Amino acid sequence: MATAPLLVLPGDTIDPSLIPTHRKQPLRLGPGLRHIPPSEIVPTVAGQLVVDPKKNSMWVEYNGGRYIPSTHDLVIGQVHRSAADLYYVNLSPYTANAALPHLAFEGATKKTRPQLLPGALIYARVTLANRHMDPELECVSSTTGKAEGLGPLTGGMAFDVSLGLARRLLMARNREEGRVEVLELLGAEGLAFETAVGRNGRVWVGSESTKTIVLVGRALKETDEGDLTVEQQRKLVKRLVKQLR
Amino acid sequence: MTTSTTTFLAIPGQLLGPASKFQPGPGTHIHEANLYSSLLGKVHIAQPVKAPGPTKRLNKIVAATNPPPAEMPTISVSRSGSGKEKQRETLPEVGNVVLCRVIRITPRQAVVAILTCGDTVLEAEWQGLIRTQDVRATEKDRVKIYESFRPGDIVRAEVISLGDQANYYLSTARNELGVIMASSEAGNTMYPVNWKEYRDPETGMSELRKVAKPY
Repeated sequence: MATAPLLVLPGDTIDPSLIPTHRKQPLRLGPGLRHIPPSEIVPTVAGQLVVDPKKNSMWVEYNGGRYIPSTHDLVIGQVHRSAADLYYVNLSPYTANAALPHLAFEGATKKTRPQLLPGALIYARVTLANRHMDPELECVSSTTGKAEGLGPLTGGMAFDVSLGLARRLLMARNREEGRVEVLELLGAEGLAFETAVGRNGRVWVGSESTKTIVLVGRALKETDEGDLTVEQQRKLVKRLVKQLR
Repeated sequence: MTTSTTTFLAIPGQLLGPASKFQPGPGTHIHEANLYSSLLGKVHIAQPVKAPGPTKRLNKIVAATNPPPAEMPTISVSRSGSGKEKQRETLPEVGNVVLCRVIRITPRQAVVAILTCGDTVLEAEWQGLIRTQDVRATEKDRVKIYESFRPGDIVRAEVISLGDQANYYLSTARNELGVIMASSEAGNTMYPVNWKEYRDPETGMSELRKVAKPY
């Protein structure tokens, strides 16, 4: 991980000393970098260049506008309409709808399938995403046949967040690497709620109490817009919970 | 009106003559025992070829009204060319092998533009569809269009149906049908490795396609 964050712009040349080397593993390029044979590496987005010498990989961390689907992403979509044997699900505004087959739910057969109305929220995984076709989703794990948390999201409310915050919320070590701890802090204060984070910049919050839902949504929005550090998030959570009580 | 041999212009729907006097040729049609022109073009009257030798002697009583069909001149209308005989546009027929370019892919079908029919380059680009069940002969229900075609590929296919107003229906369900030219994501021309893979020589990456067996 870079000690001093290096900001790169599209088309910048990268200092060769920054490119990691490894005895055995080939160099892996992540999102935001492009390899021009034979030996040029060029950033294609503006952001922070991150290098992982252990895995011999490098990528650019950026907080960008439109969500571009890629396979195995978890997303929150809103059902737009139902066609022959598909649901058309909207993942982000002003983009083509993704297709979710009627039978891609746990235990769904032709006779017993969930009836989703237009406007319903679902938590799904992207199965097919490429430049040439509309994306496709599934709400069941194709290997195990179980839902594993996917499916319709009932009640609650979905909030829009930036793509960068959504990615950091989904990180395994979100406190150290993602520097976002607001959801854990809210839970530690005694609020009871559940969340689902979609990589397409949507977070669903569900709870028995509407005040809790609104509070969690506000906390997320302020973390996002203020780009708060962990300390600032702690202060924010304390302030919001005090207002609640 | 039309017994002179000088050619003149006919418009579609123009009366050419009675069907009792003339044989219909290309470019004409019969309606209520009259010959009408179907095209805009020059009218040609071809005199019938006289059979050599003496005419047969009639030895039974026949109604002496119309001359027999072999002796009637043939009237035809052809589109005016610049002197030489202009070929009529060849259209793809069922069973023809055509070359086409993939325009768009969807999960159920690939939309293509038909470029050549056999050896003739077509003047207009006709649209065709290759449905997933016609992509290959085995495991038809498990075909993934993204692993068979990509937009921009040149495909050799066979016409299976003239289809509806918008599309011909094509099939690549034989070994020698399929993608014959493809470009990689990086933009280089790829060469085929086996029946389902093309490889980019510069980057070394493989891409999946339904490859046509080279002749």
